[in-house]
Amino acid sequence: MIEFKDVTFGYSKENEVLKGISFSVEEGERVGLIGSNGAGKSTLMKAMLGLISCEGEISIDGLRVEQKNIAAIRKTLGYVLQDSDNQMFMPTVLEDMIFGPLNYGMGRAEAEKLVDDTLERMSLLHLKNRQNYKMSGGEKRMAAIATILAMQPKGMLMDEPSTALDPRNRRRLIEILNELPVTKIIATHDLDLVLETCDRVLLLANGTIVADGKVEEILWNQELLEQYNLELPFCIAGIPERFKQ
Amino acid sequence: MNKAEHALHEIHAMNELAAMDSPIHRLGALAKVVVTVAYLLVTISFSIYDCSGLLIMVLYPVLVYQIAGIPIRTCFYKLRIILPLVCAVGLFNPLFDRKTILVIGTLHISGGVMSMVTLMMKGIFCLLASFLLIATTSIEEICHALRQLHVPKLLTSLLLLTYRYVSVLLEEVGIMMEAYHLRAPGQKGIHISAWGSFLGQLILRSMDRATALYESMELRGFHGEFYYAKKNYNKRASFIYAVLWIGAFVVMRYVNLTRLIGGIVS
Ligand SMILES: Nc1ncnc2c1ncn2[C@@H]1O[C@H](COP(=O)(O)OP(=O)(O)OP(=O)(O)O)[C@@H](O)[C@H]1O
Ligand SMILES: [Mg+2]
Repeated sequence: MIEFKDVTFGYSKENEVLKGISFSVEEGERVGLIGSNGAGKSTLMKAMLGLISCEGEISIDGLRVEQKNIAAIRKTLGYVLQDSDNQMFMPTVLEDMIFGPLNYGMGRAEAEKLVDDTLERMSLLHLKNRQNYKMSGGEKRMAAIATILAMQPKGMLMDEPSTALDPRNRRRLIEILNELPVTKIIATHDLDLVLETCDRVLLLANGTIVADGKVEEILWNQELLEQYNLELPFCIAGIPERFKQ
Repeated sequence: MNKAEHALHEIHAMNELAAMDSPIHRLGALAKVVVTVAYLLVTISFSIYDCSGLLIMVLYPVLVYQIAGIPIRTCFYKLRIILPLVCAVGLFNPLFDRKTILVIGTLHISGGVMSMVTLMMKGIFCLLASFLLIATTSIEEICHALRQLHVPKLLTSLLLLTYRYVSVLLEEVGIMMEAYHLRAPGQKGIHISAWGSFLGQLILRSMDRATALYESMELRGFHGEFYYAKKNYNKRASFIYAVLWIGAFVVMRYVNLTRLIGGIVS
């Protein structure tokens, strides 16, 4: 479904962020994208949606990422931005959520029903008529995720979906992700989230994919993780040293 | 709250006004846009000496503000900055045009005074009507209506994005001022030595955010058409509303109702 062939990109000439990246993701796969700050995770996602133009070849669902396919690709892939403030642009949650479906030609009644269903599934009905600028960070996050779910995309790209969420909402997010049968790529530092929601892990560092394998092969590999400024997931690492007796 | 946050608060308050519910809010945007434009054209077309004829035009804002449940006071408060400018337009007319055109008892009213009053009234009426439109209709709906009137996509998108950009800009100013004052306690305003970098940062940051927001719209299928702003509304009621008002405006323009009513009363 997602295919990268030798993709290179830099925000400036001297400084390449992606250096000849190749990988592919099959339909229905659940992939965790990990890597230290500034490794290029967000950049990689932007490349898939044609928000930046790269050298090399990217194709989504059989379509090459180029101007004439952009609309179709963006309909196929939903993208949860790293910063929810940039995601929500309408005055209220409801209006934000129906924006996508209406643009893709759905009727208003149908779209509102879809919004209700989505919010209900996420236990967020109380946010429906809230003003976007009057919400807390975590509420905004959940609402931003809901706007993308309401578009019913074939694939989801999520950039740090669990930041700002309280444990309860994080748990809800995990449940929702696990119920959702679509292809998913989740970029995050929350390795425990990856452990619970993904089967495969891509480790990005120095502009290349330095490891690609099953969750259990990579997230238990302390040496590999530490080499790239990461650590074992908390649930594997266990109780912090100073509390062990 | 600093000044920027205050200004932002007022923009949000406008959005909230537009999101209220009333018979006027429920009408189609197209009807409201057309009625507003007609009102502006008719109001402007009155002769500058026709003060008494113009007076009746106050009926539209007074009535519709009532029905929409928006206190006229709100409008005057929000527009307090430009209102004096509008009123200042004809301020010097009495100096130039001293020919008496009306005598009431011993009072001689010159053309200049008359035209000054008329111009002020025109300005205030137009402001009232425009404010009424944006207080009862969201910017998206207005853009959608303008598209239906075949206003080019480029212009409507520009209108929408400018409106959005102003909020983003204010938001960024608010955030930066807050961050600045947290680290410069006791300072009033921003020190002159920091103006350059403050402004530069502000432009970069708000451009960045505006781009991100626009990208986010594009990612959800926005291509300059405002399908999403199409509301379910009562087509017949909207049509009747538009026809009645436009009809009324034409009557108000050509029949001097103020004098007519005055004549009946006396
Ligand atoms: N708009 C931009 N202009 C110039 N350089 C940028 C821009 N955005 C990101 N970069 C640079 O590109 C590199 C990769 O950034 P990216 O946002 O993809 O990292 P990331 O892996 O998502 O990091 P994080 O975990 O912190 O979100 C960073 O070194 C960053 O400094
Ligand atoms: Mg990132």
